[in-house]
Amino acid sequence: MQEGRPLSPTEINRDLLRSILDTPRWFWPVVGILATIVLAAAITIGIMINSGLGITGLNRPVVWGFFITNFVFWIGISHAGVMLSAILRLAKAEWRRPATRAAEVLTIFSLITALSMPIIHTGRPWRAIYWFFPYDFARGIWPNVRTPLVWDPSAIFTYLTSSTLFVLIALIPDFAVLRDHTTGLTHRIYSLLAMGWEGNPRQWKMQILSGVLLSALILPVFVSVHSIVSWDFGMAVAAKTWHSSIFAPYFVVGAVHSGVSAVVFVLIILRYIYGWQAYIRHEHVDALGRLLIVVATGWFYFFVMEVIFGIYGREADEIAVRELQFFIWPISGWTLVFVITTYFIPVALWLTKAARRNLWIMSLACISVNIGMWLERYIIIVPGLMNRGVFTFTWNDYVPRFPEMIIIAATFAFVSMLLLLFSRVFPLVPLYDIKEGEFLRTEVKIGRRVVPATFRED
Amino acid sequence: MKFTRRNFLAWAGISAVGAVGCDVFGSEGQELRLQSPVMQPEDLVKGRDNWYATLCRQCPTSEGVLVRVMEGRAKKVQGNPMYPVNWGKQSARCDAGLQALYHPERLAGPMRRTGARGSGEFAPTTWQQGLDTLSAQLGERGNGLLLVTEPIRAHQALISSRFANAFGGRHLGFEALDQTTYRAAVKDVYGQDLLPDFDLAHANFLLSFGADFLSTWVSPTRWSVGYGDFRQGEGRTQRGTHVQVEPRFSMTAASADKWVPIKPGIEGYLALSLAHVIISENLQAVSTDVNALTGGQGAAALANFSPDQVGPMLELPAAMLKGHSPADWIRELARDFAGHTPALAIGGDSAAAHSNGLFNLEAIYALNYLVGSVGEVGGVRFNPGSPIADLPAASTVGTMADWTSVAGDIREGRTRLLMVHSADPVYGLPASVGFGDALNRDDLFIVSFSPFMNETTAMADLILPDRIYLEDWGSDIPEPAPGYQVLGIQQPVVNPLSDLDPRSFVDVLLSTAQELDRDGDLPWGSLQQALRETSDALFALNRGSVEATSAGEFWNSLLRQGGWWDERETGPSASAPNGLYNQIANRAAQPIFSGEGMYLMPFSHNTLLDGRNTHLPWAQAAPDPITTITWQSWVEINQRQMEEMGFREGDIVQVRSSQGSITAPVYPNPAMRPDVVGVPLGQGRRHGPEYAIVGDDRESSNVLSILASSQVEGTGALAWASNRVQVSSTGESIRIVKFEGEFTSREIGNQIDNNPSEEIIKTTSPGASH
Amino acid sequence: MVTNRIDHKWGMVVDLDKCTGCQACVVACQAENNLPINTKDFFLQKRAYEWIRIERYWEGEYPNVKARFIPVLCQHCENAPCEPVCPVYATYRNDDGLNVQIYNRCVGTRYCINNCPYQVRFFNFWQPNWPERLKNQLNPDVTIRTRGITEKCTFCVQRLRRAELQVERVSGERLNDEKLKAGNYAPACTQACPTNALMFGDQNDAESKIRPYFDDVNTFDIHHEEERTTRGYRLLEEINTRPSIIYLKKVDQYPLNEDEDHV
Ligand SMILES: Nc1nc2c(c(=O)[nH]1)N[C@H]1C(S)=C(S)[C@@H](COP(=O)(O)OP(=O)(O)OC[C@H]3O[C@@H](n4cnc5c(=O)[nH]c(N)nc54)[C@H](O)[C@@H]3O)O[C@H]1N2
Ligand code: SF4
Ligand code: SF4
Ligand code: SF4
Ligand code: SF4
Ligand code: SF4
Repeated sequence: MQEGRPLSPTEINRDLLRSILDTPRWFWPVVGILATIVLAAAITIGIMINSGLGITGLNRPVVWGFFITNFVFWIGISHAGVMLSAILRLAKAEWRRPATRAAEVLTIFSLITALSMPIIHTGRPWRAIYWFFPYDFARGIWPNVRTPLVWDPSAIFTYLTSSTLFVLIALIPDFAVLRDHTTGLTHRIYSLLAMGWEGNPRQWKMQILSGVLLSALILPVFVSVHSIVSWDFGMAVAAKTWHSSIFAPYFVVGAVHSGVSAVVFVLIILRYIYGWQAYIRHEHVDALGRLLIVVATGWFYFFVMEVIFGIYGREADEIAVRELQFFIWPISGWTLVFVITTYFIPVALWLTKAARRNLWIMSLACISVNIGMWLERYIIIVPGLMNRGVFTFTWNDYVPRFPEMIIIAATFAFVSMLLLLFSRVFPLVPLYDIKEGEFLRTEVKIGRRVVPATFRED
Repeated sequence: MKFTRRNFLAWAGISAVGAVGCDVFGSEGQELRLQSPVMQPEDLVKGRDNWYATLCRQCPTSEGVLVRVMEGRAKKVQGNPMYPVNWGKQSARCDAGLQALYHPERLAGPMRRTGARGSGEFAPTTWQQGLDTLSAQLGERGNGLLLVTEPIRAHQALISSRFANAFGGRHLGFEALDQTTYRAAVKDVYGQDLLPDFDLAHANFLLSFGADFLSTWVSPTRWSVGYGDFRQGEGRTQRGTHVQVEPRFSMTAASADKWVPIKPGIEGYLALSLAHVIISENLQAVSTDVNALTGGQGAAALANFSPDQVGPMLELPAAMLKGHSPADWIRELARDFAGHTPALAIGGDSAAAHSNGLFNLEAIYALNYLVGSVGEVGGVRFNPGSPIADLPAASTVGTMADWTSVAGDIREGRTRLLMVHSADPVYGLPASVGFGDALNRDDLFIVSFSPFMNETTAMADLILPDRIYLEDWGSDIPEPAPGYQVLGIQQPVVNPLSDLDPRSFVDVLLSTAQELDRDGDLPWGSLQQALRETSDALFALNRGSVEATSAGEFWNSLLRQGGWWDERETGPSASAPNGLYNQIANRAAQPIFSGEGMYLMPFSHNTLLDGRNTHLPWAQAAPDPITTITWQSWVEINQRQMEEMGFREGDIVQVRSSQGSITAPVYPNPAMRPDVVGVPLGQGRRHGPEYAIVGDDRESSNVLSILASSQVEGTGALAWASNRVQVSSTGESIRIVKFEGEFTSREIGNQIDNNPSEEIIKTTSPGASH
Repeated sequence: MVTNRIDHKWGMVVDLDKCTGCQACVVACQAENNLPINTKDFFLQKRAYEWIRIERYWEGEYPNVKARFIPVLCQHCENAPCEPVCPVYATYRNDDGLNVQIYNRCVGTRYCINNCPYQVRFFNFWQPNWPERLKNQLNPDVTIRTRGITEKCTFCVQRLRRAELQVERVSGERLNDEKLKAGNYAPACTQACPTNALMFGDQNDAESKIRPYFDDVNTFDIHHEEERTTRGYRLLEEINTRPSIIYLKKVDQYPLNEDEDHV
């Protein structure tokens, strides 16, 4: 069921290009604040590189902490892009239209942010070149393909490349519109980016075809990325709770859960700041809310199973970590917050239609999911490393310090800043997709229900 | 060939298969190896190193070491495999010597005092001026000279005491926890002047009272080497059994098969009671003449020490006795001890440091006569002493009686010149002796030869820094020696760094004596010359480990080996004084304690010892074996007792004796008599390098300072275990600096039903071994 | 430039019945291998470096209480979990049977630290720092590890290399002709250990002192543990990392749980 009034192409152009063609007054101050946070983190990173990771709370044996938690979190967020665009595009779900672009762009930015985390985490980032690029092959040294740490960058770079292509292809018709609305240098840049788009049938056909093809190609990559990220943990034998075969689907579903929630939140924000009430509508948020109930419940199933599988083996070390996660303060407190915020609060809200259509409640629910999902990664990673094994001399706690906090905060600022800046230069809601949607809004009556006619020329 | 898509794919396929094929089938196995391209610097070692034999001076034992030298810098110290005391082995203190050599806060050259005495303000001066001042002072007050050194033997001892004598002064060795009482007991029981050796390697039963012999007592490295064989020596059919009787759970107690937390000061009663059982049950060795030992009285000589009388005195915990009476327990122990020969009884440390310490030790060492292990394999072996007449084989160490009178001498102006070398009496003597205060006299001149700032040096008028032992000549007759004659040689393995200007203490003594014409007894230009003379004398003996055809060759071989020894020149034998047991029984006395409350057990720190290694970071950072604490003082209290007292780990507590108080964080020790507090020696310095004075008063305290200056009856040694203290909270709490995990190793046992130690330190019963 | 080395497989035997917890091995290792000084802060931060550490465990309650010491160092696993996870091959098993660590390749991911079941890998959280003069002591054969690098026990590989050179010099022949015997090469900890609780040797050398223990434990694997004739076992045997270190059980003369009629 499509809701809202029909829109004319001119209106669409005007509304959706508003963010690019006019600068709201709040824009630069907000970008400035975000940039300050990013700068503060950059300085912290500089200090950290200079003096060593000692300034963080990392210690022995908890050598992976907030940075890796945040890495997994942002990889998770990045899954929304493909989830929404590719699946919904392939499934020809009409309501995806306004959401896809923001989701895809969020994918790219969160991937870039996620990638930065392990590099910052190593302490001396320039050395990462050994890791990603086998330049030493003259001496016969290749990266060790047995480690998830090589699968990981491979998968993430593939995902980054394909998502970037995906976004660019979808942007071409919009670049053309922008080209036609601008003059001077900007005009020339958009001309270049539009690559001679004229909107002729052959171009449309190629563009749609490549979109569909990329969607299909990207799907396995999307599944692989978070599976592989989960294997960073699953393949480790020494951290007892990590070594679990259920991690791949558990992580993928969790990623979709947090990613889609993040997209919903971003959409609501965009609707608010750019006045896109006509484009991002309650019906879209409602649909995403319903989708999220399914995803969240799927995630919850894996969460419970993971714990049950873990304690089923009745291995002392495993049970000790579970005990730490669930019964020992303060980690038990964080676990409680995580379970409630990830599942019980949002799902309870999403169950009512009124809540799904209330943007405030939806924002809160989505924030709640992401708080919970961030904590989920923390609860998986850190207690596992606290090493409740037989060598009790190596048992230890982890308390993050200021450098970790500011860098984590800065990743959020960084992604927000990039989204804002992006919205300044490219339309965050795809013009042509919306127009296409409008074009297809012919409604047909099937039985007693009125449904949109979602046929295409093909 | 036309380059078509089909061709391209075909070629790509062929090359891929070819590449894989070549790799898998074609190449030699080693080409697939990784290591050749990833050579590490370790694979590319350049330059040659030299290993020089010398002596270690990190603790009074002074063992043979090899020092690795590359490009004029010492790189590693390790045991000299030939040296018959430590057989190539070492303690955790040994390596730390390098840090003394290259210590950032080594005193660079002579200094004179500029501020008030004790203010620690000094200005550099020249050697010329420094030596002139020393000569002038000696000329003026030489007859009031007191020369204080660490316990030294052989050449250093000879020259030091002759030097003091030449001026009409006195030489005295200083050691915070001295062996005077032990020495006296050895003299009384065995009639020996030199400390004996113990043949642990061949003993079957080891009964040790108080002696922390695996950590710090007398010759720990030597005992440890023997202990390894005692446990699982090659060719041994039976594993030795070790019972450790002491109120505190020392590192040695931790290694024992059985720890007996006896009431402090009652050790002698237990030993006599064991003797009573052995004699009355006729368990003694065949060779033992009980009649001679007991003046013909037999068990009646020890009538007051029957198990029934002594049992309750030990105050053994009921849970340890498991329903048996203490008397039965004593009988059982006596039967085990006498039934597993060769059996060996040793005692020292806290057992010797009560008012009745001499009684305790005599009673303990007399047991060896009963089981026939005096002078036998697996028993006590005696030492022959010096191969060269005059060369002292034992160190002279001042007792508490001596130091009390020294403090009086200073106060009354009889001692007017104090020369201190490698000793820190201001730190190491109980404040109640008043030694540090006595030094404040204006007409007293103090010369320190220490290469490092410390409490006594801070009081000095003149500092003439000595060389570190790795830069200096020296010699040692180990005490205890391994049962035969040994003379160890110390040689300089490196020169002092160019920014340092130390001078050898002994050489300074020699040159000063010469300058003041007091060198009648000191006819050597340098210590090296004296050593060379001794080498020639040894060559003339024409026996021992160094084979040479000329004196020159002998000298070189001597240096290469790190010493001379003659395995055939063994020690004397001992026979029991008549009526030994009557004598000891007469000496019996209950320990006297000063103060009220819990028994205070100070103990030598595993690496810091009495505090002499506090400035060395490796010594500071080596975890205490039991508590794993580093860089800090601590107070050990029984875990349950601590809970009852309301303390938690890390609470700063005040330990108040009759003489004063210190503060330190408290550590819960599951193995501790509930009425005992253990406090390690070593910290609490206020003058010295940064590493030595780390931590404030709350966590870094000198337990020696609060000891009463009570003496062991009959020897005048400090009865350092005779204090009782009140332990109270200060309300403050800190995190203990320890290596152990955040959680005690018991926690996991509560969580899940197993004990980590059982899982990773598997145990087996003796029958099942081998 | 691969040399045709004799395939050594070095190994260690740790006799828990001899270890007294004296820490001599710990300090010797620190001196030999240029370990940074473990300052007070390092202990408080739980970042102290001890390539070999002595863990002390309590058993029982006062007065029937026992302390147990166990020296833990890199086990030089044949099937080392730390190795496959390193993306840059900074840690690998070499032909000598040593699990070596190449500091200048390590990128600091710390994955290997997570994946070592024995927790014997150490990360340089700070730039190591020695007072100028103390640097004179540093062993020129051992790389100084900068911040951001993982390090661990190497079985003192530098001593092995020196010993090889020595054997070559003495025999005048390449190593592949002259077998390097255990006597030529002992790590610093083994050399120091006063009770000889640590023993070192070549598992491939039939005459080596340690060989019988390896034969025994290899013949009677974890499933036939009770058939072993020595006290040997491997740490965490059940995870099959196949360490090159065999521990000999502590002999408990008076087990705590036995009702003893004994002293
Ligand atoms: N010699 C021999 N070899 C065989 C066979 C044979 O009969 N003889 N049979 C073959 C056949 S049919 C099979 S199916 C395979 C089976 O081979 P594997 O799959 O290797 O099966 P297992 O060794 O039984 O179990 C693998 C591991 O899983 C752990 N585990 C148990 N529960 C859990 C859990 O909930 N989570 C996680 N993460 N781990 C768990 C177990 O502790 C064990 O270490 O072996 C094959 N190989
Ligand atoms: S025990 Fe003492 S004398 Fe012997 S090597 Fe160690 S520090 Fe030196
Ligand atoms: S003990 Fe740990 S570091 Fe050593 S080889 Fe085994 S897994 Fe690797
Ligand atoms: S920390 Fe270094 S050695 Fe360890 S896995 Fe990472 S790169 Fe490899
Ligand atoms: S083998 Fe060498 S590196 Fe390893 S613990 Fe022993 S001394 Fe240290
Ligand atoms: S040196 Fe030997 S006895 Fe001492 S702690 Fe190390 S392994 Fe144990």
